[in-house]
Amino acid sequence: MQLSAWESYAPTLLRWLLVGGGMMAMVVGLNKGLQFIGVRRETARGLALVSPWLLGLLIWNAFPFAYSFYLSFTKYNIFQPPEWIGIQNYVEMFTKDTNFWPSLRLTLLYAALNVPLGMVGALGVALLLNRDVKAIGLWRTIYYLPAVLPAAAVALLWRWMFSPGSGLINFLFQPFYALLNVEPLQWFTEPRLVLPAFVIMGMWGVFGANAVILLAGLKNIPQHLYEAASIDGAGTMQKFRFVTIPMLSSTLFYTLVTGIIGSLQIFTQAFFIPIPRRAGTFLNVLIYQEAFSFRNMGYASALAWFLLVVILILTVLVFRSSAAWVHYEGAKG
Amino acid sequence: MTTTTTDRAVAQLQPIVSAGRPDARYVVGRLVIYLLLAFFSLFVLIPLAYMISTSLKVEEQLFVWPIQWIPDPIQWQNYMQAFSSLGQIAPGLTFWRILANTLVITLLAMSAELTAVTLVAYGFARFRFPGRDTLFFVMLSTMMLPGIITLIPTFLIWRNLALIDHYDPLVLGAWFGGGAWAVFLLRQFLLSIPPDMEEAAVVDGANAFQVYYMIILPLVKPALLALGVLMFQGNWNNFMGPLIYLNTTVQFPMVLALKFFEASISNEAPKWHYMMAMATVMAAPLLALYFVAQKYFIEGLTIGAVKG
Repeated sequence: MQLSAWESYAPTLLRWLLVGGGMMAMVVGLNKGLQFIGVRRETARGLALVSPWLLGLLIWNAFPFAYSFYLSFTKYNIFQPPEWIGIQNYVEMFTKDTNFWPSLRLTLLYAALNVPLGMVGALGVALLLNRDVKAIGLWRTIYYLPAVLPAAAVALLWRWMFSPGSGLINFLFQPFYALLNVEPLQWFTEPRLVLPAFVIMGMWGVFGANAVILLAGLKNIPQHLYEAASIDGAGTMQKFRFVTIPMLSSTLFYTLVTGIIGSLQIFTQAFFIPIPRRAGTFLNVLIYQEAFSFRNMGYASALAWFLLVVILILTVLVFRSSAAWVHYEGAKG
Repeated sequence: MTTTTTDRAVAQLQPIVSAGRPDARYVVGRLVIYLLLAFFSLFVLIPLAYMISTSLKVEEQLFVWPIQWIPDPIQWQNYMQAFSSLGQIAPGLTFWRILANTLVITLLAMSAELTAVTLVAYGFARFRFPGRDTLFFVMLSTMMLPGIITLIPTFLIWRNLALIDHYDPLVLGAWFGGGAWAVFLLRQFLLSIPPDMEEAAVVDGANAFQVYYMIILPLVKPALLALGVLMFQGNWNNFMGPLIYLNTTVQFPMVLALKFFEASISNEAPKWHYMMAMATVMAAPLLALYFVAQKYFIEGLTIGAVKG
């Protein structure tokens, strides 16, 4: 059966228009209807305007959230109805699944290396760019480039670059291999090297974007603070420590939080790069495989909930710690 | 390119030095800055150059050391051949079909997201209603929810609607609010604009729709462009969605075609020149968009981070 382009686009296009029209009708109708039953005009307008999101919250967040929690206590292969098995999925995850611990380790280590390294690199570049550099637009363009590229293309590119026999990396490292008299590294195929390879690839993707964000943050620091610090006799290091870091801390905090959440959820890159089973896999890929390759929807939901808990714990820790090091301009002058 | 920048910058510094204060430390400091910047930008640029260079090589040249940065001969045909060999394993999947598939997904999702985001952000930014701040907080916390947790139930919803292997799961959800980060960004932007113009318009007798269409939309246009490019990028690159919802190869967007191609030919020797050609084709529209609208990319990226 060969679907023509029209056959595959037209039904979706029609439903897309219907849903869009329905959404508009809902906004208009709610506005009129709420006012009709005596709701204040401003309230009616506001509620009507946010109603698409509110509906979406129920359908795409609240319901799936609750349902996946329920599924995590069941055995469910889509074809038969879910069967309640209590905490067995979680027991299996922690005690029996031989893929789980290596994958958790890989994912956590990846985040633990990728986030700080990426932030330090990005901060370094941002500080350099902030020093009245000529052609700032050009530099910014270059540094942000990798973040524009599709993750899939990036993954394929780095797989090729890391390919042991013929890739660019081993070509560049050849003198070192010769010097140390070692065999060329088997990047994505040697379990020990999977993590460093992913960290290098991950840094290529984000550090430029973070540098651009941090640069914007640096540009936001009022110059008079530095002048005041100079008058007080502060040196370069002291200005960095007592002006730049506190004033940049909310931007650093943002990159830290998005960095942690993002790198724990790495998927596309990991999916495009086969790695040895012994090295584990990234949690998101593990969940995908359980759900859609093996149809273990219940077990996959349990894994997803575990990932959520990990993300929540880390985010709460970062938020807690933020009171000590993040300085918000204008919060309690 | 980077070395010329360094040279020029140093050249411009010369007069300052000869004008009286021979501050050698300053010049050396500048030089170090530009050298470091150039070094880091090589880290960014070399992989890109390698991708394009590989995509233009004949197969035998792939494994030649030292690497030939400028292939000889330049194999422009790789781009055609990559797609024709893809067509052989997935009948009907031509370059134009893939492009159309990708554009249908990207444009439908993007325009719905933009429309919904404008409405919702306008509601959050300009109207007081009971529970607004709580709802806004809820919205912010959904950003922390890992996508994978709602994925399975969402898949089940679409399955019950019998819309698996259609584009609907990829584009219909966009009507429902259009993404928390985008609402957040646009709300911040709206809050930075004083509501005087809207109030004046209301005094002049404009109704809610007129205010929205004639005042709000023109005001937030720069922010919408910034969101637009980021949404285009996000949907163009979206991999997990098509991977889960689409089965028929002829319906595949670019990213899935890339995966399919990679998976189908990886049994033999990987055809890296073809894969790099396809990766380049997939990246090209985004790079073009980036060069045309980079102001908006950077704006969209930094609004939330710096002010939030």
